[in-house]
This record gives sequence, structure tokens and C-alpha cells, in this order.
Amino acid sequence: MDFAEIESIEGLRFPWNTWPSLASSSSSSEAAALFTPILPLSLLHTPLFPITDLPLLPYDPLHCHSCNSTLNPYARVDYRYAIWTCSFCHASNHFPKSYSRIGENQLPVELFPTHSSVEYSLRINKDGGVGIVFVVDLAMDESEMAVLKREIMGVVTGLDDTVSVGLITFGEGGSVWVYDLGFGECSRVVVFDGTREISIDKISELLSNSNFTTNHPSFGLGKSSSTSGKFGFLLPISECEFNITSAIDEIACSSQSIPGHRTERATGSAIAAAVAMLGVCLPQQRGRILVFTSGPATIGPGMIVQTDLGEQIRTHNDILSSKAPFYLKACEFYNNLATKLCEKSLVLDLFACSLDQVGASEMRDPVENSGGLMLLAESFESGQFKKCLRYIFRRKNSDHLDMNFNATIEVVTSRDIKICGALGPCMSLRNKNRSVCNKEIGHGGTNLWKLGTITNKTCIAFFFKVTNRRNTPQSGPVFFLQFQTRYRHGDGGYRLRVTTAARRWSYSISSEVVSGFDQEAAASIMARLAVLRAKKYDSRDVIRWIDKLLIRFCSTFGEYIQEDPSSFRLSSNLSLFPQFMYYLRRSQFIDVFNNTPDETTFFRLMLNREGVVGSLIMIQPTLFQYSFDGPPVPVVLDISSVSSNVILLFDSYFYVVIHYGTKIAQWRKLGYHNDPSHENFRKLLEAPELDLEMLLSDRFPTQKVIRCDQYGSQARFLLAKLNPSLTQKSPSAPDGADIILTDDVSLEIFIEHLQELAVQA
Amino acid sequence: MASTQPPPTRPRPGYGTNPNPNPNLNSLVGSVQNMQIGNRPSQPPPGPAYVGGIPPQPNNHFGPPGPIVRPGPPPPHSSARPVGAPAGFVAGRPLSAPMVNNGPFTSPPGGPGPFRGNPPQTISSTSGNQGPFSGGPVPQTLNGPSASQTPFSGAPMTQPAVSGGPFASHPPPSSQTPLGGRSLPVRPPFSGPPSSQPPFPGAPPQSSRPPMMAAPPTSQSPFMGPVPSQPSITSTPPASQPPFIGGPFPMFRQPFPGRPPSSQLPYGPGAGQAMPNPSFPGAPPPSQPFNQMPQPPSHQFPGSQMVRGPPGSGISHGSQPWSSQTTQSSPQGMLGMSSTMAPPPPRMYGMATQAPVSPMMGHSPGSTPSKIDPSQVPRPMPSGSSPVIFETRIGGQASIPPPATSDFIVRDTGNCSPRYMRSTINQIPCTGDLLSTSALQLSLLVQPFALPHPSEEPIQVVDFGESGPLRCSRCKGYINPFMKFIEQGRRFVCNLCGSVDQTPRDYLCNLGPDGRRRDVDERPELCRGTVEFVATKEYMVRDPMPAVFFFLIDVSMNAVQTGATAAACSAISQAIADLPEGPRTKVGVATYDSTIHFYNLKRSLQQPLMLIVPDVQDVYTPLHTDIVVQFPECRQPLEQLLENIPIMFENTKIAESALCAAMKACSLSMKPTGGKLLVFQSVLPSVGIGSLTSREAEGRTNISIGEKEAHKLLQPADKNLKTMAIEFAEYQVCVDIFISSQTYVDIASISVIPRTTGGQVYYYYPFSALSDSAKLYNDLRWNVTRPQGFEAVMRVRCTQGLQVQDYFGNFCKRIPTDIDLPGIDSDKTIMVTFKHDDKFQEGSECAFQCAILYTTVYGQRRIRVSNLSLPCTSMLSNIFRSADLDSHFATFLKRAANDVPTNPLSHVREQVTNLCINTLHAYRKYCATVSSTGQLILPETLKLLPLYTLALTKSVGLLADGRFDDRSYWINRAFILSTALCVPLVYPRMIAIQDLASMEDGMLVPPVLSLSSDQVTDDGIYFLENGEDALVYVGNSVDTDVLQKIFGASSIDAIPTQFVLKQYDNELSKKLNEMVSEIQRQRCSYLRLRLCKKDDPSGILFFSYMIEDKTPSGLSYLDFLVRLHRQIQTKMA
Repeated sequence: MDFAEIESIEGLRFPWNTWPSLASSSSSSEAAALFTPILPLSLLHTPLFPITDLPLLPYDPLHCHSCNSTLNPYARVDYRYAIWTCSFCHASNHFPKSYSRIGENQLPVELFPTHSSVEYSLRINKDGGVGIVFVVDLAMDESEMAVLKREIMGVVTGLDDTVSVGLITFGEGGSVWVYDLGFGECSRVVVFDGTREISIDKISELLSNSNFTTNHPSFGLGKSSSTSGKFGFLLPISECEFNITSAIDEIACSSQSIPGHRTERATGSAIAAAVAMLGVCLPQQRGRILVFTSGPATIGPGMIVQTDLGEQIRTHNDILSSKAPFYLKACEFYNNLATKLCEKSLVLDLFACSLDQVGASEMRDPVENSGGLMLLAESFESGQFKKCLRYIFRRKNSDHLDMNFNATIEVVTSRDIKICGALGPCMSLRNKNRSVCNKEIGHGGTNLWKLGTITNKTCIAFFFKVTNRRNTPQSGPVFFLQFQTRYRHGDGGYRLRVTTAARRWSYSISSEVVSGFDQEAAASIMARLAVLRAKKYDSRDVIRWIDKLLIRFCSTFGEYIQEDPSSFRLSSNLSLFPQFMYYLRRSQFIDVFNNTPDETTFFRLMLNREGVVGSLIMIQPTLFQYSFDGPPVPVVLDISSVSSNVILLFDSYFYVVIHYGTKIAQWRKLGYHNDPSHENFRKLLEAPELDLEMLLSDRFPTQKVIRCDQYGSQARFLLAKLNPSLTQKSPSAPDGADIILTDDVSLEIFIEHLQELAVQA
Repeated sequence: MASTQPPPTRPRPGYGTNPNPNPNLNSLVGSVQNMQIGNRPSQPPPGPAYVGGIPPQPNNHFGPPGPIVRPGPPPPHSSARPVGAPAGFVAGRPLSAPMVNNGPFTSPPGGPGPFRGNPPQTISSTSGNQGPFSGGPVPQTLNGPSASQTPFSGAPMTQPAVSGGPFASHPPPSSQTPLGGRSLPVRPPFSGPPSSQPPFPGAPPQSSRPPMMAAPPTSQSPFMGPVPSQPSITSTPPASQPPFIGGPFPMFRQPFPGRPPSSQLPYGPGAGQAMPNPSFPGAPPPSQPFNQMPQPPSHQFPGSQMVRGPPGSGISHGSQPWSSQTTQSSPQGMLGMSSTMAPPPPRMYGMATQAPVSPMMGHSPGSTPSKIDPSQVPRPMPSGSSPVIFETRIGGQASIPPPATSDFIVRDTGNCSPRYMRSTINQIPCTGDLLSTSALQLSLLVQPFALPHPSEEPIQVVDFGESGPLRCSRCKGYINPFMKFIEQGRRFVCNLCGSVDQTPRDYLCNLGPDGRRRDVDERPELCRGTVEFVATKEYMVRDPMPAVFFFLIDVSMNAVQTGATAAACSAISQAIADLPEGPRTKVGVATYDSTIHFYNLKRSLQQPLMLIVPDVQDVYTPLHTDIVVQFPECRQPLEQLLENIPIMFENTKIAESALCAAMKACSLSMKPTGGKLLVFQSVLPSVGIGSLTSREAEGRTNISIGEKEAHKLLQPADKNLKTMAIEFAEYQVCVDIFISSQTYVDIASISVIPRTTGGQVYYYYPFSALSDSAKLYNDLRWNVTRPQGFEAVMRVRCTQGLQVQDYFGNFCKRIPTDIDLPGIDSDKTIMVTFKHDDKFQEGSECAFQCAILYTTVYGQRRIRVSNLSLPCTSMLSNIFRSADLDSHFATFLKRAANDVPTNPLSHVREQVTNLCINTLHAYRKYCATVSSTGQLILPETLKLLPLYTLALTKSVGLLADGRFDDRSYWINRAFILSTALCVPLVYPRMIAIQDLASMEDGMLVPPVLSLSSDQVTDDGIYFLENGEDALVYVGNSVDTDVLQKIFGASSIDAIPTQFVLKQYDNELSKKLNEMVSEIQRQRCSYLRLRLCKKDDPSGILFFSYMIEDKTPSGLSYLDFLVRLHRQIQTKMA
């Protein structure tokens, strides 16, 4: 089975493509008992997967009156009576008049068997523009600020006139300034004291009270009827171009740091103010908050550390051992913020360009759940930041931003399937119905999720549970799942993407089950679950959990003779899974050593929204080798691949390393590539660069690129990820071969142990 | 009532009277009578008026009173009078009076040149008459008929008898005695009357005289003294008196003159604004007011017999004293209270003086119930026009200061100027018992930054270098002229606590043969009552703060629409030109409605930046820098901003006001430095912390239940504001609030803030952009330019034996001994009360030292130390003789203001009256002669106390029917009012504008009329002012020509109600404008003019100031005297 191909039609990846049914024989219950604990029934869904030939239907869908599923190719249609029977709940529905011409030879698009995914363009009034709020930290260097201002200005000038913009700054003394862009007589800002925690509602109320625009002659009552003219804090560019540009221009940094102290930053309050402001000014709910910060939040709600430099910013250990005094409080604050963002369907993006941590860890919830972007870089001057910012404001075509807002995903299931939850950049709407399971995984307790924004890469993992108790599943050998993703398209219109999937039930561990196992999807799901678990537990616990699962997996699906490790075999369909798990155990998602909580958060957040391909790269990076011997080839992620006469291109998703073997590096230093007589050396050097560019073009946010020579200090980025098959302890290390100095076990040893354990009773 | 007291000098009423050179004219009686008569007579107009007023009173009155005191003789006219002679006396009286006094008190006649004139004796001798006057005051008693007596009873003289049953009862004879007052003197006064005799049946006089004579020596003094007012005395005293006389007058006069000059500057004429303040300084104003008033009365006097009486009594009562009447009295009969009598007379007055007289006479003679001749009742007298030179100590003795309201130039010879510290009693009772016996108050009125007279020497600054000023090691008192150096100067004894300290080596100086240091005269701290020390680091907890002026402007809908916002911006814009120069001056601006808007003024090249603080429940400052910026740097943007504010908020629809939150936010902005917060507010603060409700309306709906609780509306609504205010004070933020409102704003609550932070409330109600803008600007300008200090701490120390009991005024008190004044300025007065904790030795001195540590507007830290050393006495008569009317009344006023919010009104009024009664009773009981039982005898020095007490009970603050805001404002004003302005607050001066035409050249302010509706005629235009507001009353039948000249309008109806006084090109208008400028200069206040028309609410307002009238809520003056007399009688029994 080519899972990727199926994905390209449905946007779905199922770790198990056949699900066990509890309904029948003892063997089926045995099956259930077997593989549910190993890996929950789940799938990865990329709701807006770019499907070729996706039909865009200019009418509203037909919904089943009982379960709300939409008409789909799996529905049984009775043309005579113009009735269709829902494949999920088996209810009968009449076709409306507009379908009167329906017939066996005249099917509506949504009934075409090939179109398991269709998109409707809903006929809902589209009004209101997009609201963008820039939240700028004033406590940064002049040079940084200059770059940042230039970038923001670039964004602003590139926006359509209909896009509304707002500006909030925070700096000196923890004060937060909300600019009133609708006031002509002077610059007007509403100031909040960022050191105090005020509820969003209160801020909204205060902002409403401070509104002046309605009373101002140039923005008289006449204009308040237009959607955005009412509040001066957020105005269409056409109305405030001068004010916003001059306001941005006048932003001055206020970093008067006191020796021995960090600058005061009320990041949390500033974000809260932005949320409140958008809530007040933007009833149509298409808002995005971009936070630009250059250091840790040191004051007010969401602070992560005090200004006193004597105090260290929390580490993983501090958090686990409850020695991070502000951590929980800040998390709670941001959790609430996340709820608000969800309520108002706003998106929060964090651009943290700092050498220090900024508190991204605490801010994970609002950023992740709203579908926002998090970028950790060292400087606003870095290309990473610039590209990333521009990427957000890219245009699909000339007339609108490629930015979708206010998405909801509704899942409809066959009766025997209950929904446990979802993992990914979404928020549960707590909409319970009979298909919702009491057991929650991730964002659970609902069949409806909210996403502040959604891109065509956004990928969400859904978890299910089979609960059929009856002896015979009504639906026969097949079950259905339908995903309805409703969102506000960049052009302002509402869309509904419906994907309906059908999979088989299995009643035993048959080859069908094995062949239906998608080990890549399974690894991704495992990774998300591990990350979820890592939020609560120490990484050793997580690793133990993974190991336990893996052992059970192997002992269940492996072919072996009891107590004989050497006899252990896994079918090719499953054979890579242990290896994925090995790399997952070592990955930065689980092993947080050497990473700050902010970085870890960033990694995990990225993992949680990436599709199967992307997350697999994160788990097990790719390594390409460029040599004179032939075209670039992927090589094993192993120390043995390092060689002095090759160039390696290592892609771990978060960063890319181009690693030059010593010889290559030497030649390069000698300038051979500039010598026409060594044309192919030049080409060799160019090859990875070209590939790199391709990689980057598609990645978002853009990753860090590291170019290093063998034995150079930067080479550590590569070495850290390679399988330490040769270490200082390896007796057999051939002379001159590279080794990795580590105590970690190598993949081989890991597998050995795994086999041993798997074959035990 | 005995009046009595001769107080020395007290010119008290400083009435300018002098005019009357006449004094001499007649001596004695004759003169006396004349005076009264004469003067007034001449002034026909007034006369009538009075009459009118009086009549009513008659009944109760004490006839006598009338005559008595009346200080004020009629200025100009008097002379004119044919009666002339008499009139003349009047003038004289001042002198005489003094003389009298002196004698008595100070035994040392000659000594105190100034006031004390011993003269009494002389007087008596002279013409008895005069004596009376002078001493007079006291005497006044009214006699009631025997029966009635109770009241005044005894009174006087025969006449009295006449008077009706009431007072008079006591036959004259007795009355006379009374005069004598217990103390001796009293009588004399009456006796004085002799001359007046006619009236009195001879008898009285005689008797009286004797007393008088005697009196002088001792007790009498009381009477005599003070009163000078009336001319009376004048002549008499020939001998001794002269000296005094001379003295006194001059003094008074000079003062006045002095002022004038300056005056103009200040508010300037119409332009108003422009005027330089400088002028203000001249405190002078006070004095004048009174003067005039009195006069009118005097005219009447004439009519009344009283006059005569006085003369006779000459000695004792000066005219003033009521007593005098007695004396004279008898004629007058005084005081008599014959109720009946009165009526008639009054009318009579109206015209012919004489006529009236006769009636009076009649009474007296009749001995029947005598009535008080209204015209003879004590009234303030005009003061002289040129300032008096006052040396604070003469011959090693403290001198008794001239009235606060008079014009004088102080020469600091060891005691501080009375402007800085004025004691209610200038001789300290040796024991607490003695003080309580006298029923007088012992308080100091401290005005540390009082404006000096332009001709006075500036306060010297003494720099002790790093060691700081020399202080007593035990009580920390500062070195002063009364510290005694012993042992060749090696040690010194503290005059406050008595401990002995080593003299620091570098401060050593040998003693001269007189036991004083040889360098005394070179060292200001050893020879001046007031000096400033340069403060060292020890006196600073931080660097001295800069002068910070933060303007907070209401821009809520109401404020914008009424023009208050524009007025405030314009006023600020103009006033900043006068801010202290220099880099240390900083300013800030904020506006507020339901939110608070700050402005960053430091962005010279960019648009101004408005920073809004939306959270009015929990405020904060938007920036820690750049909100308050150095003034010169931001002048341009500031001016621009002020111009823009009214435009920016032009169409605002926000009606809410977050005043308190805004103040708090500003104070947070000012926290690092402290400074002045000037708030311009228009509506009731309705949102945010400290928001208030319209309690007044609630109070009104519950009136039936609420009557008892009504005063609670004068208390702050809750404690939030107090807490906030204390916080402001901690930050050294001084808040002044300018309220330009048309509705209730709950001043009672809001005022807590200025009151606790050393600020003050300005109130423009109902606000009119047209007529109030100029005042707003002038008030603001004076506010920022007047002499002032910041972050001050003040403590008053006194010699062991006394201790400070309490402080009253606008300040924050955290520890019992000190008061914190975030701001203190030349207009603020603090009352300090004392109690005995030990005895003093007779002949010792009790010293008071007020030290105030403050930062000048230029950022220097200074300690201003004022010293006052007063003799101690165990003689009650001395105490009365040295009592100070102005400061006494100030204590009454301030105590009442303090009590009103916490006590039912009736209670407060009663208390005030009782204070007055107790004092008079004490005097009557211990200082008046036995025989005077039937009379109302008033101490000369305090003879106006009843009048002012009455005025106080009828003042805005003590009337239940006033708006609560008005009353709260009144209370606030009373709290800080300087001694000189206390009386005008309740007893305004009224001037007939038509008199301007006939005024002599050089005089800027015409004579004052007494506050009685008799004085007001339909064809006249009157100007009435209390130092803050001025009412222009236009009668119904005023000549259109005059209207045209003054208002530029042809009829009354054509004059807009909100009018602005303009100068037209004619003499009358010019004089009027000059007069207004002069008054403004005197009061240091830009008067708020309001037009009043008869038969209009404004007319009712005007007549509510006619203190002497009977009103629904209060007695007429004469009735009041009768009541006092009766109660005293009751007590005596």
C-alpha cells in the first residue's frame, strides 16, 4: 500500500489502515486487546492538503439531519425517491429541489467516488477585513530595532488597503502602549501598566472607554457604521496609513537597563492587550497578533524570571523539580489567553530574536493552539526572521493574503467509533455528542475543534476508540470517518472542506492488519504522544514508555521463536518502526539535555503540526552524501557515513548542516573551486547548496543553516544526531575512523536488546 | 458686657478715621457726641439707611450700644458736618481710645509708646467724654431697664433706664457703675458721658467718672484702650494721650496709604490679568474694609445720644466700646436695650441727626427701658490711610501689634512680624486657670510665608556652614534672640526648654556690660524675630526637589461645553509665562474624562504624544520619564498643546469624570519629585477610584430624616480620598483644585485632598466662561507666583509651661509634633492652639518659635524660624487688654469651620455664641465694676466680637439653607484664611458706588457702609466684597446716566447678568475700576463680580449679606446684643 498516495487524495494517514472490531469473536477482542494499547487508533489529518483535482463547489453542502455529516460518495442514494442514506448514522435524507436532476448518470460532484474530498464555497456574507496587530518589544538594541522597524514597515506597506492594522508596544517600566491610529491631532496611545494582571475583559472594557475615534470629527459617527471605523486602535490601512507609518517610525527603544538587571518586559500584558484590542475592534474575527520580542518577560503576568540577573532563567530541571517560581503561574496565564484566542479565533505568532530565552515555553499554548507561528532566532537581522515574516504575509495571488482564519474541524464517525481527542494546533470546543469518548487524549471531549488559522500543511492527529459491543457491526466490514473543515479563506469567503474516508474493520491480526500498518504515520503519532507525555513526565519516563510500547509491538507483530532473539524478524512493513523509535528516544523532543525549555517547546510545537513527512525528518534526520563517485545518495545516519572526501547534507528539519570532509574543506580553502580546471569540484560544492535551497524553499519557518568542516566545532550539530556506532568504547574501531564520544547506545545495541526483550514471554 | 479693655493700640478697627482731626475739637463729651452724630449726619444718605435698618431692631436693642463702639465714623463727611465738631471727634477717637487703654493696662504709660496710652486717666480728666469713647468700648453696656435688665441691665446710665425694660432696667445709676465694670475702668467710660450728660442724667456720669479715673490705673484700661476708634478720645487725652494718639494714628494711616501704591500692580485694572502680583503683597487690604463700614454708622450716632454719652465717658469707652455708651451712654441709654425705644429713633436718624438724638436721649433719661441706639453700636471703623510703623519690641518688651487688617510696616526688633505669627493674646496668662477664667482662646495664627509690606526689610538668610544652625541640644529649638548667653558667652540657656548648652567654639563671643553678646546686632539670628537658616544635608532626605507644576484639566463633555476647559487651557498658557525661571522648574500636563490622558512634552520635533491611562480603578503612570519635563525645554510644545486641547476634545461625548483617579495618576508621575498639582475640574467625579455620588440630591430628598444628619454631607463621603491624600502628601504632592462647575461636585469630599496636602480649593460657581476666565487666570497666576515653599515640615515650639495642643489648617500630620506641608504659600495660615502644662512666673516671658523647613522654588533648602516672646501676666485685665480681636475672631471662625461638618448647625452656632458670651461674661464678672451689672460691657479690644460673632452665625457656612458645596467651600476657605481676611469673609465691606464721585482725590476706596439694608437705597449702586466675591447691586431707580457711565447700558435690564466690568471713558467708571483694582490688591484676590438686581435671586443674595438685619435665621445686630446681655445677666445671677 502506498500510503503517501492515499494521502494525496484524502490528506489522511492512518497508522493502522484496518481497525480491530470488538464486535465479534473472541479473536477480535483479542485483537483489540493487542493493538490498542500498543498504539491508539488514530490518524493524521492535513485538512487542507493540497489535493490535485479538488473540486470547489459553489454551493452549500447537504448535511445529514441527524449526524450532520455531508453528502459523500459512500452515501446510498435512492434516485427514485430522491433520498440518500447517511453512511454514518443510516438516516435517510431527502434531496432538496436543487438536486432534482440527480440520477445515476448525473451525479453531483460530491458523490463521485473519486472525490472523497471536496470543498464547498459557502454562501455566507463575507465582510470585514483581516486585522493584524504588531506587538513590539521596545527593549532592544537600536540596530535590532531599526531592522525590525524596516521589516514591519515593509509588511505594512505591502498589505492591502482593506487590511486593518494595529500597533502595540511594550517597554519602559513594563508599560504597554496601544496606539490609537485614528486620531489626527497628536499621537495617541492608551497605556496599560504591564506589571499588573488584568483580565482580558477588563482590558477590553478599558479600551472601549478610551476610544475616542467615534467622537473625533474626522472619524465621526457616520463612519462608525463601517466595520472597522469604530475603533481607532485597529483601522484599515487606507484610513491610517500615515498614522501607522509614523507611529512605527517613531518607535524608539527604551532599553535603559540597570546594571545587574534585565530590562523590564511585560510581554504577557502586551499580548493580553492585543487580544483584548482585537476582540473589541474586530468582531468579524480574522485577526493575527505578531509579537516581536527580544528577551525574557520579566514583569507582569507571564513573567518567567525577575529582573535581577542574579536569578537564572528556569531550566528543564527547575521546571521538573518545581524550582521555577513563575513557571506555573505564567503557564496558567497563557492558558487562559489561549482560551481567549480560541474564543475570538485569533492567531498569535511569536518572533523571539534573542540570545536568551524569552518564555516561549510558557507561551506554547496560545501559540500552538491558535495555529500561530513561533520563531526562535538570535537576531532580527537574521535571514530566518525576515524570511519567516515575509512568508506569513505571502500572497497566493495578487489580491489577497494566503492566510486562512477561523477554522473549525468537525469529525463525524461511524457509530462504533468514539472520538478521544486531537493533538496539533487546535483547541477543543468542548462540543460533546454521542460520538465523543469519555477518555480524552490531547484536546478531547469534543467532535469540534477550532483553529485560529490553518495552512495547507497544518496536520492534526486524531485519536479514536472502538466501542462496538454488538456482535455485528451494522456497517459491515467498513467504517467511515468524515472531516469537515470550515474556514475563512484568504479571499474573505468561507469554505468547507469535506473529507470522507472509509477503512475496513479487521477481526483478527491478519496480514491485512500488518500490511495496513503505516510505520511512518505510526512514528509520527508516537512522537506526538511522547511529546504529550513529556509535558508531564521526566524524559526517562517517556523513554521507558516508548520502550515498553515498542517491546510489546515487537513481541506482537514480530516473527520469532520464543527465547531466541536471533530468530526475530519483522515484516518489511514494520521493520523501520523500531529504528524510528530509537531516533525518537534520542531526539530533542524527548532528550532535553542541552536544550532550554524554550527550544524544546519550539521543537515540540513544530512536531505537533507537521505532517508525516516533516515529522519523520524531525525524528530521523536525513543525510545525503555528495562525492565524486556519483550522484548524491542518501546514506545511513551513522558515524560511519562521515568521511573526509565527501560532503554531507544533513537535514534535521530544524537545521541543516552541510558538512565538508577534511579533504574537501582543504581543497575549498585552497580555492580549487575557483580554478576552471577543477570544474567538477566546483560543481560538487554547489550541489548541496542547490539542494539546500530546495529544502528551504518549502520549509516554514525556515531553519537554521550550518556550514561546517569535519572536526570543526560546528560539526557537533551533525555528530549529535548520528548513530554512535563507533564510540570511544568500541573495541573494533578501525584506525582513522571517526568516532563519536558518547555513552549512548548505538542503534545496533538497541535493536539487540529489543529483540531479546521481544522474544521473552 | 463690659467692654473695656483698653487695649492698647489695637486700632482694631483700624479705621482710618483719622480724618478726624477733630478730635480735639471737642473734647469730651461734646466731641463725642458729635462724633457720632456729626459724622454720620453729614452723610445723610447713610443715615437714613441706617435708620431704616435699625428701627426694627429697636425693640430689643440696647440702645446704648449703638453709640458706643461705632467705630467707624464716617469719614469724609464727618468733617464736613457742621456738627463738625463732633464729627471731628470721631476722628479723633482712635487716638483717644488708645490712650485710654494704655493707661490702664500697661501701667507703664509712657512705655509703649504706641498703643498703650495710659491716657486713660488723662482722658478722663480731659473731657470725660472722650475718655469714654476710647475706653468706651467696654462700657457700652446697654442698660436695660431695670427689669429687663437681665440683659444689660445695669446699664448704664440712666438713660438706659429708659430703655426698656429689658436691659435698662437697671437704672442708670447702677448702670454706670457697670460701666466701670468690675474693673474699674469701666465705669469711667460711662462717666465719660458726662459731657454727654444731657442724656444721661447727670448721675451716671459722675459716678462713672470716678471710676474712670480710677480705672485708668488699673483695670480700666480695658475699656479705654482699644477703641480708639472713635475719635473721641482723641482730644481728651491731651496730655498723655497725645503721645499715644499720635502714635496710633499715624500708624494706621500710613499703612493704608502704603498699600495703595502697590495695589495697582496686582490685578491690575480691568485687564486684570496682567497685573503683577507684587502688589498683593501688601496685605493691607484688611484694614480698610472695616473702616468704611463703620463710618456710616457713626453718622447715625450722632443722632443717637449715644454719641454724647461716649464723650462723656470719654475715657472709658472709646467710642467703640459699647460701654462707652454707657457712659455716654447713658445717654444712649444705652445700649439699652429698650426695645421700644429703638424703633423710633432709627427712623429718626434717617434724617436729622438730632432728631433722633433726642429720642434717644429721651430714653436714657427716661431711664426707662432704653434701647440701643443702633447707630451707636460698635462697628468697625475705618483705618487710616497711611501705614503705621510697628516695632515688634520696644525697650525689651513685646509690643502689641496693630490690627491685622490695618496697614502697617513692621520693623523686626526681636519678635517676628505679626504677619508671620500673631497671638490671640499678647500677654500670656501665667496659669491655665487664669486663661480659662478669661474664657479667651490662646492660639497663634501662623502664616510663615505672609507677604511683607514692600517697605519692610527682607528676611535675612543666615548660613552656619556645614554645622547647620545652632540649636538647643534638648528641645532642638533654634538659636534666637531670646537665648541667653552666660559665663562669658561660653554657654547659653535655651529660652524654650531652659537647658544649658556649650557655645560652639566658632560661635563664641564675649558678653558686653549689658550681659548681651557684643555681636548681637551683627547677627540676625540674635536680633531678628524672623530669620532663615540655610539647611545642611542633615535636613534633607534627598536632594531638594525642583519646582514642579503639573496641570490636570477636565475635558469631559460638560467641561468642554461650558468653556471651562478652554478657560483653563488659556489660563495655564498665560500663567506659565510667570513660572519661576530656571532649569529646576518642571511642568507636566494631563487631561481626563473617563480616562486619564498624559502628554509627552519631550518630543519637540514630533507630534505631541497623548498617553491614555484607561484604568481608573487602579491607576498608574504611563511613563516614568518625560511626563514631567523641564520647563524651558518644552515651552513650545506645551503652548501648542494647550491651544489644541480644547479643539481635540471639542466634540467629546464622554460625560464621566475620573477626577480622583486622575489626581492619583498624576501624583504617581510626580512621585520622584513631588510638586504642585493644579487641577481644573468641572463635574462630580463619577468613575474610578474615589468616585462620588450626588449626595446632595439624596440629602434633599430625605430632608425630613436628614435634618439631623445634614452636616454629614459636609464630611467626606468616604475614607478613600483621605487615604489618597495622605499618599499624595508622602510624595510631597500639593494639590490645588480649581472647580469651575455648574452643578454639585461634592466639595466636602474632594477638598480633603487639598486640605491634607497643603493646597486649596478655588470655586467658580456657577461657572461662566465669560466672566470667570479672568479670575481663573488671575487665581492661577497668583497661585504659581506667590511666595511659596515645597516639601515643608513645620513645628511650633514654646516655652515650657505651655504646650502645643493642636494645629488647624491645610497640612498632613503624621506625628503629633510636626505638620507636613507638601506646599505652603503666602496665603496659608495655620492656627496653633496651646494649653498650659505648668505655671509661668509673673514677669517672665513665654516664647514661641515656629520653624519651617522647606525648599524654595529655586531648590534651596531653608529653615525659616520665627520667634515671638510675650510677657506673662497674672492679671486678667492685662489679658483682656492685650487680646487681639482679629486673631480671636480668626480662631472663632476656624473652630466653627472645623466643627460644622461634625456637629449639627444649631450646636455650632450656639457654641460660637457661647464663646463670645463666655468671654464677655468673664470680662463683665472679673474686670468690670460691680455697679455695671445692668449694662452690656464689652472689653475695648473685643468690642466688635459680638458683631463678628453674629456675622459668623449668619455666614454661608453656618446657614442651613445654603448649597452644600457653597458651605464646604466656605469651610475650606475659612481653614486657610489669613487673620486679616477672616473678618471680611463674614463681614464684607459695602461701598456705595455713587460715593465715588464725591471722593477725595487720593482715596481709592470710598467709605464703607455698615451691612444693613437701611444703607441700601433704590437709587444707589453698591459694591460689596468679602475678599473673594464682589456683588454689584444696582437699585431699581438708578439714574440712567450713572448706569450709562458705569455699565455702558441704558437700563438695568440691559446689563447682562454675567457682566464684566469695563472701563468707560468717564470719571466715575475710572474711579470704580481703580477702586476695584485697589480692593483686589488689598485682598490679594481677583474679585469675582456678580451683578445683583432687586427683586431677583441675585438681590436676595445681596441682602443676605446684610448682617445687621434681622433675618429668618438670625437676629438683628441689636437684638443680638440684647440677647448677649441677657445671657450674661443670667450667668451673672
